Amino acid sequence: MNSLFLPEQHPVEQALRGLALAHPGLLHLTEDPLYVTARDRHPGRRVGIVSGGGSGHEPLHTGFVGRGMLDAAVPGRIFASPHNRQVYEASRAVAGRDGVLHVVKNYTGDRINFGIAAERLRADGIPVRRVLVDDDLATESTETATGRRGTGATVIVEKLLGGAADSGLGLDELAGLGAEFAAASRSLAVAARAQTSPSRGGEAFALPDGTLEYGVGIHGERAAATLEHPGFDQLVDRMTEQVLDALPTTTGSVLLLVNGLGATTLLELYAVHARVAELLDKRGVNVAGRLVGTLVPALDMSGFSLTLTALREDWAAFWHAPARTLALPALESIR
Amino acid sequence: MTIDRHLVLRTYAQAAHTAYDTLTSLDQLSGDGDFGDNLREGLDLVVSALAARPAEPPFAVAAEVFLDEVGGTSGPLLGLLFQEIAGALAAGDDRAAWAAGVREGLAAIQRVGEAEPGDRTMVDALVPARDALEAGEDLRDVALAALAGARATAALRARRGRASYVGERAVGFADPGALGVALLFWSLARAQDRSPGELADFLGDPHEPASREETPAQQI
Repeated sequence: MNSLFLPEQHPVEQALRGLALAHPGLLHLTEDPLYVTARDRHPGRRVGIVSGGGSGHEPLHTGFVGRGMLDAAVPGRIFASPHNRQVYEASRAVAGRDGVLHVVKNYTGDRINFGIAAERLRADGIPVRRVLVDDDLATESTETATGRRGTGATVIVEKLLGGAADSGLGLDELAGLGAEFAAASRSLAVAARAQTSPSRGGEAFALPDGTLEYGVGIHGERAAATLEHPGFDQLVDRMTEQVLDALPTTTGSVLLLVNGLGATTLLELYAVHARVAELLDKRGVNVAGRLVGTLVPALDMSGFSLTLTALREDWAAFWHAPARTLALPALESIR
Repeated sequence: MTIDRHLVLRTYAQAAHTAYDTLTSLDQLSGDGDFGDNLREGLDLVVSALAARPAEPPFAVAAEVFLDEVGGTSGPLLGLLFQEIAGALAAGDDRAAWAAGVREGLAAIQRVGEAEPGDRTMVDALVPARDALEAGEDLRDVALAALAGARATAALRARRGRASYVGERAVGFADPGALGVALLFWSLARAQDRSPGELADFLGDPHEPASREETPAQQI
């Protein structure tokens, strides 16, 4: 018995039709090829911002399409990269007079398909640059060439880039800034139960009672370590300190995302947030912006992730710039 | 020198049929086994599209088909090669235009796939083909260079592409993507009556590994 309530045929297409019906004033759905575009856009924006990737991480990316963030989102099948034609057509549809910026999570399939689309756009005379998000410190390794995975920091990078784009910056400036946003971000995720396998039903992998997958990926990639649950405080503290210590710079302020992986309740996420905030305060770290919610899940995995971005002072205006999307929580300007 | 682009692509489609069993066997060793199908079906679609749209630039039509319709990763990467060849041929029809198209196509494939020569990918057939075209060599020698480049991948361990997951197991057999792209240059020569020989003579038995010391010419 598959516990996911999805139709057997074309689940992603059907969900996107439902999404577009629910938010016709915000989003426009194109079905062939499949992509979602924003109805509204800041008049000062010169560059169209396009992101995308496998489905199963909703509200990423469609929930962040709208004025102030993405101009288009390109969903693949569940946990699978979109086709290059979707990226190409979506990019053509939203290209600004300065071209298109692709925000790509670091997975081989996404890199190749966005890359092929970029070559097609260049052949059409549309300038295009890419920002690669690679924040998951569980995949930090000097042994492979693939690098860290892209996970929760994608939302933060998309928000900052949206604000920067609306300030009127050009393509090369945005690409340079986006690389800095990504480089300043690190995440770590933990799971108590795997997501349901969409094809087989049942848990994608089994965890013994009382253990945690520490460093899990957003497609259920197994972590390097399965731990005994150390208790709530010890777990949150350990994760917070590990992410904080992994930041390339720790002076000044940070942006914080406490992200649910699908089945974890807001009650839990707020409790985690309180503990993280307390520890950051003790460490003398100023939290300049914070998001709490299920923003980058792995279908219905039970778990959460923490993301920190070391914030440069001149980036704060990008964070606080107005945005109107389906899924970005209200931004609080506590300094 | 005018090269009949329609004839090149029709010849390429025939070559993909001739080499289908070899490509499929090689891809079953190092990939998911669909490369022969993707190449053959893609080129068949190109031949149909060319018949329906005879006035359009043939390599632009081929690019559209491979970028939009062909599955896998290698298919769309070949689409990029066709796209750049189409762009270069729009400016001229001489050897320099072909060399420029292959050079730009190789550059695009390397930008996207991040593969270097020696990584056991289609790049290993494209580099010698580009070099031979740029040196102004006879099309027969361009084809031989591409086929030799494909053959030499049998001695390489993959670092990029799906074959990187199986490592040593694929050593001794050529990379199917490299062979698939080499067939384009064989077809280019064939369309100009500069064929280096019958294709079947170059394909050999895909189930027998080539020697790692010395790879015989007929063993791809």
